[in-house]
Amino acid sequence: MNLSYTDEQNLLRDSVSKFCGSDYDFETRMKSVNSDQGHNPEHWKLFAELGWLAIPFSEELGGLDGGDVDLSLMFEEFGKSIVVEPYLANVILSGGVLKRSDLENKAEIIEQLVTGEKQVSLANYEPQKGFNLDSVDCEISDEGNVTGLKTTVLNASNADFFLVFGKHGSGHAFALISKETNGLKLTPYKTYDGFVSGDLHIENCKADAIFSKSDALEILKKTILEGIVCVSSEAIGAMETCYKLTIEYTQQREQFGQSLSKFQALQHRMVDMFMETEFSKSFLLKVLATDDENERTKLIYGLKNQVAKAGKYVGEEAVQLHGGMGVTEEMSVGHYLKRLLVITNLFGSADYFLDKYIES
Amino acid sequence: MDLNFSKEDLEFRDEVREFLDKEYPKHIKEKMNNGDELSREEIVDWHKAVAKKGWMGHSWPVEHGGTGWDATKVYIYLRELALAGCPTFVPFGLQMVAPVIWTFGSEEQKKKFLPRILNFDDWWCQGYSEPGSGSDLASLKCKAVREGDEYVLNGQKTWTTLGQHADWIFVLVRTDDSGKKQEGITFILVDMKTPGIEVKPIITIDGDHEVNEVWFDNVRVPAENVVGEEGQGWTYAKFLLFHERSSIAGAPNMRRVLNSLKIKAKNTYHTDKPLSEDKNFLSKIAQFELDLDALEMTELRGLSAMREGKSPGAESSLLKIKGTELQQRISTLAVEMAGHEGMPYGGPYGFSDVEVAASKSDQISAPKYLNFRKVTIYGGTNEIQKNIIAKAVLGI
Repeated sequence: MNLSYTDEQNLLRDSVSKFCGSDYDFETRMKSVNSDQGHNPEHWKLFAELGWLAIPFSEELGGLDGGDVDLSLMFEEFGKSIVVEPYLANVILSGGVLKRSDLENKAEIIEQLVTGEKQVSLANYEPQKGFNLDSVDCEISDEGNVTGLKTTVLNASNADFFLVFGKHGSGHAFALISKETNGLKLTPYKTYDGFVSGDLHIENCKADAIFSKSDALEILKKTILEGIVCVSSEAIGAMETCYKLTIEYTQQREQFGQSLSKFQALQHRMVDMFMETEFSKSFLLKVLATDDENERTKLIYGLKNQVAKAGKYVGEEAVQLHGGMGVTEEMSVGHYLKRLLVITNLFGSADYFLDKYIES
Repeated sequence: MDLNFSKEDLEFRDEVREFLDKEYPKHIKEKMNNGDELSREEIVDWHKAVAKKGWMGHSWPVEHGGTGWDATKVYIYLRELALAGCPTFVPFGLQMVAPVIWTFGSEEQKKKFLPRILNFDDWWCQGYSEPGSGSDLASLKCKAVREGDEYVLNGQKTWTTLGQHADWIFVLVRTDDSGKKQEGITFILVDMKTPGIEVKPIITIDGDHEVNEVWFDNVRVPAENVVGEEGQGWTYAKFLLFHERSSIAGAPNMRRVLNSLKIKAKNTYHTDKPLSEDKNFLSKIAQFELDLDALEMTELRGLSAMREGKSPGAESSLLKIKGTELQQRISTLAVEMAGHEGMPYGGPYGFSDVEVAASKSDQISAPKYLNFRKVTIYGGTNEIQKNIIAKAVLGI
């Protein structure tokens, strides 16, 4: 058994942590959030230059052959500063589908993605269709025509291409559709955590390519599982910042002639926040250290359930212990809660994943 | 002991329903059902409609224009209003400053202010908290110095809800800082049009502008606007807080939200069967219902004690804690139901000019949840309420 990180992994963590520490204070983040693109293109370029966008791709695809542990520690660092750059949407979700796919020109698209030249969004969820990945109405015909409505397409308004998941024959497939395609209409919006998203209306669009007709659902499942590990790691990073911010605030805020942090009732609350964070970390490590695929899948469902509850709890407590200031837009802690709440509900609720855990 | 309504009660209930059917302005009803934001005028119109019927003083003594209803009637009345989705009453005049004025105010103050509050001619707001004085309210610093027939106010108040709409503000000011901090606090009524008052918005995490900072820069207030005695303001402030806390549990409103979630669950799919058939969801709903029943009965006990002439005491802290916890729980449930469709953010009241796939109720689920983070903080944090119960109720 070995639960420690390699030197390379520690180097990666240091480099991400250094970026977040020096270039990503709360004010800078909010500037990015409030911009049209919802993130800073300079940062995105930097991510590409540092090789971060290449991490989860194989060397043949121009990648660095990184694994879940690398991604996880990176996302944990992102979470500490609630980084809004669209890593999840591009690299994990779209990249995750592309790298597992049989798309003929996938190497070319991945190269554009890794260099930051192009952005790609995965469009799979639909209104009123719930969390089951195969629950879609979107139709992809043999001739390559696509019709459907996709919702909360992450990073949609920055995407040059969409990977649309839909029904094809008796199974499923992906369609690659570029943003200029006739019949494609995007309704862009932001989600309440400040990230860019949108509804994608696809009206008899001609796809550039149809791919992975035999195993699209399997690819989507694997990709979402990887996504869950990443956002769970991000949540854990955010939780850590939440309890630290709370300690700092209660030490400095005085009421009744002493720091709030001196009140035992509040100390216990912060201890609970800390413990939730630590046990979430432990569970994450269990996932990362499990090799058997079936066992690991089951544990990822469990992880999502655990982190959904713990993240929301820690975020809420952080706001509560900040008092009135906690609910203001100008304090960072409320923005951590918003991101944690999104992660809680992303890909499915805590209850949903508990049921998946029980079933698998 | 009897939980059944008498024939007279049922007739009264029908009377309330008839009133709502005829007099609850349709355009306001539509907006409320849709979760839209009400304008100041619309909020005033609603209160005026109730005032015209003579039903504003449901918690007031008869001699000041109250309805004189017993606890059952008050309960029926508030429940019918909430179930019909009516806006909640702006409490600062009606439920907060009015009891202070009729209990501690001068005859002139009673004559001048109470009828106007009852008729919603004046919109009141609250000047209590300060940046450095939240839970430790008695440490407040906003200063008032007597000069002839006037007091001159200087300082800052914060978290003033809907202060941007207000005509009057009741303010706790420090008139003496030589003794204990609870001494030397004075309760004073200030016209918001007085020169030197500035209201600055605070934007909360749901993106709404509901609370404000209120700044006082050499604001001159007639000495006759002091309520009761100078330096005794802390007593009145605490009296008011008991009234505030007893009115924020909000059980009837939660009953309405609960009903709407149950209906929505029939058409909400997280998997291939609707949430209304999902065991996890049903158990959450059931547990909520049980807690709500207990809260409602606790509220009824308090109401019935108030009717017997007892002022709400520290027990109102129980209602505040449990009520606000439940409000947060049901707002969480709404977010959970919405799933990823609760993520598109079109502002605190949803999208107005963009057509998105998510339903309106999903769009506002997260802003509501975020807005409701405040309820365990305002009116004295729930942590402070527990201190009050420990000390004043349990005697420890």
